[in-house]
Amino acid sequence: MLRKASSFPEEMLEHVLSFITSDKDRNAVSLVCKSWYEIERWCRKRIFVGNCYAVRPEMVIRRFPELRSVELKGKPHFADFDLVPDGWGGCVYPWIAALATAYPLLEEIKLKRMVVSDESLEVIAKSFKNFKVLVLSSCEGFSTDGLAAVAANCRNLRGLDLRESEVDDPSGQWLSRFPDSFTSLASLNISCLGAEVSFSALERLVGRCPDLKTLRLNHAVPLDKLANLLRGAPQLVELGTGAYSAELQPDVFSNLAGAFSGCKELRSLSGFWNVFPGYLPAVYPVCSGLTSLNLRDANIQGADLIKLVSQCRSLQRLWVLDYIEDIGLEELAACCKDLTELRVFPSDPYGAEPNVSLTERGLVSVSEGCPKLQSVLYFCRQMTNAALVTIAKNSPRMTCFRLCIIEPRAPDYQTLQPLDLGFGAIVENCKDLRRLSLSGLLTDRVFEYIGTYAKKLEMLSVAFAGDSDLGLHHVLSGCEKLCKLEIRDCPFGDNALLANAAKLETMRSLWMSSCSVSFRACKLLGQKMPRLNVEVIDERGPPDLRPENCPVEKLYIYRTIAGPRFDMPGFVWTMNGDSV
Amino acid sequence: MELQLGLPLPTHNFIENFDLNNDGFDPKDDMVGLKPWNCEDGYLGNKRSFEVAFGKNIKGGSQELPLLSWSGQPNDEDDWKGEKKISCSINMNDEEENQVVGWPPIKSWRKKMLHHQHQGVHVVNRNYRMVTGNQENGAGSNTRYVKVKMEGVAITRKIDLRHYNSYLTLTNSLISKFAKCENLEKDAAHFTLTYQNRDGDWLIAGDVPWQTFTESVQRLEIVRNAG
Repeated sequence: MLRKASSFPEEMLEHVLSFITSDKDRNAVSLVCKSWYEIERWCRKRIFVGNCYAVRPEMVIRRFPELRSVELKGKPHFADFDLVPDGWGGCVYPWIAALATAYPLLEEIKLKRMVVSDESLEVIAKSFKNFKVLVLSSCEGFSTDGLAAVAANCRNLRGLDLRESEVDDPSGQWLSRFPDSFTSLASLNISCLGAEVSFSALERLVGRCPDLKTLRLNHAVPLDKLANLLRGAPQLVELGTGAYSAELQPDVFSNLAGAFSGCKELRSLSGFWNVFPGYLPAVYPVCSGLTSLNLRDANIQGADLIKLVSQCRSLQRLWVLDYIEDIGLEELAACCKDLTELRVFPSDPYGAEPNVSLTERGLVSVSEGCPKLQSVLYFCRQMTNAALVTIAKNSPRMTCFRLCIIEPRAPDYQTLQPLDLGFGAIVENCKDLRRLSLSGLLTDRVFEYIGTYAKKLEMLSVAFAGDSDLGLHHVLSGCEKLCKLEIRDCPFGDNALLANAAKLETMRSLWMSSCSVSFRACKLLGQKMPRLNVEVIDERGPPDLRPENCPVEKLYIYRTIAGPRFDMPGFVWTMNGDSV
Repeated sequence: MELQLGLPLPTHNFIENFDLNNDGFDPKDDMVGLKPWNCEDGYLGNKRSFEVAFGKNIKGGSQELPLLSWSGQPNDEDDWKGEKKISCSINMNDEEENQVVGWPPIKSWRKKMLHHQHQGVHVVNRNYRMVTGNQENGAGSNTRYVKVKMEGVAITRKIDLRHYNSYLTLTNSLISKFAKCENLEKDAAHFTLTYQNRDGDWLIAGDVPWQTFTESVQRLEIVRNAG
């Protein structure tokens, strides 16, 4: 094999490799032999780094001299839910500075959960001559000034996507910084912006970019402006509307309905802030072509919502608030046979009493009616084992199952039993399950099922579950493909963690907060496992001021070849051989 | 999809270092129980680490996986159990409305949008009135969030200006809000409220009519008066 590989002409191999796009396959190729490693690294154009602290930028640059696209992730996923204190880290600047000198031809930067300063954006704007795509997903730390620099300097920009980022001091004028000669934009997502954008600048920009396929506006773009925007961009495939309320006037309505009818390519709709239901029929003409409908921001209720959803018969993906209720999900199950992804979000997550009639029955209906269902995120207030078993049997193709029963530790409300069996059925029947989030009353038994059956599981989220170390041990020892594990408020402690220390090196990261891991165990783990960064996050002060056997507040462990990081704030301690 | 880090596969002999006896951990006397366990391939490879970690010699036993078999509550014996409740209590209820932080798992970004929506309901109603009664003109933005900083205080707050109707109510509310957390004097005479207007200039609040101010203000800062 080795001889054959090396006798294979280099140019030929390079050409073959150009067809291999999956990072996983590229990684496998580079492990075949030294010469394949060499050839592969010289022609690798894109990398994905799932944790910005797992490797240093210089190491990436040394190995891959010809990159065009870099995707980085920063903070742990639980940062989405405010579990990672502000200032934890994840600043992208060191990366951007290094990339700027190494890759003048870099075209794409995609960042998730990172702190992005205006300075970083300015470096991006000025360093890469042919820069095309900037995706800032759940990022923070920058303002419209940084965006203005990108707009003014990136003459070939095709994509600017700020999805779910927190942008400071939005001033709408930054959009006018795109030069008049600029026409390359294919995708613009500004749905996260809080303030108004300059509408005239937006309208001119949309009108002069013939390739614009994706446009997601923010809630400050009023409904009466939408028709003009749509007439300027009838080629749109994805649209996120702004506010969807205005005085109901026949001419405004017919103008809007006409504009929507002109968008023959529309496949995806989102937005609909502050819906005034009287205007919803304006989108009916495009509904039959839609494959994706995101009503997460839309406070449509009752019959209006059901009528809209039931018109979208080609729907593959639906994100919706629980206003849809069981009855709406039944209608969905009857109408949308191609549905692969369903997310149902709570409209009133903090209310003590349910404000809608959404139960386990809605999800059961969808699993019965939609045979292609693969991905579920479902917030509800009650569940039964029987329902979970039915869902598991109905949807064996499930790859992502995230169930959030809002009340922690809620049992099967009919039998008052733990939900172990129900989740057990999910992992047993859904052989391709990659991602799982647990909720409700769960004992160690559910983890036994998971360790036994969930052989392809890559990401597991656990809250308020389990009885003992045994639960964690089942998961760490059984789930061979596990990459990310995040746990909060579970009685898992030192024994399971230390016993499976070697497993942690095969994973990207482990998060444990409000669990029972002692500071002593953290220190030990850090000392003995040099390739793991063991970070104790404790806002109460230095953990060594408390007894060593006291549990740490938060623990974040990740594998790294970069060594300890140097940008830790005062509430983070790394347990490595030198420091303890 | 992930960058290959070139990490070597974990070696199990490493685990010997984790023998809890060697590291001064209290050996768990009651962890010797063997529990019948049907294993799938691949499970056994991992299980060894668990055995070794606890210094137990388990013979061959490919049909059985030794697991810790605690009697009763497994973590009860841990000597810090009592302390945990007293000196190490984990703060979970410090969020407003006595909620557990981060539960239910709603993105913080999303929470703000929920807020917008609640505002949105009013807007719809108001617009509806406009059609029928025609009392106001123009659907303005529904919320007026601005950031407020106090000189010398690290935390910036966000407030909705629509909750205030005069300079006086705004100033008093802000100062008491900050003073409460920072143990400062609450006398408004010690502070000056400044704001940044739409043009980016910093001005002293009160220079223009309240309505003009609310339309123009971008952010606020409370400055301490000298002396």
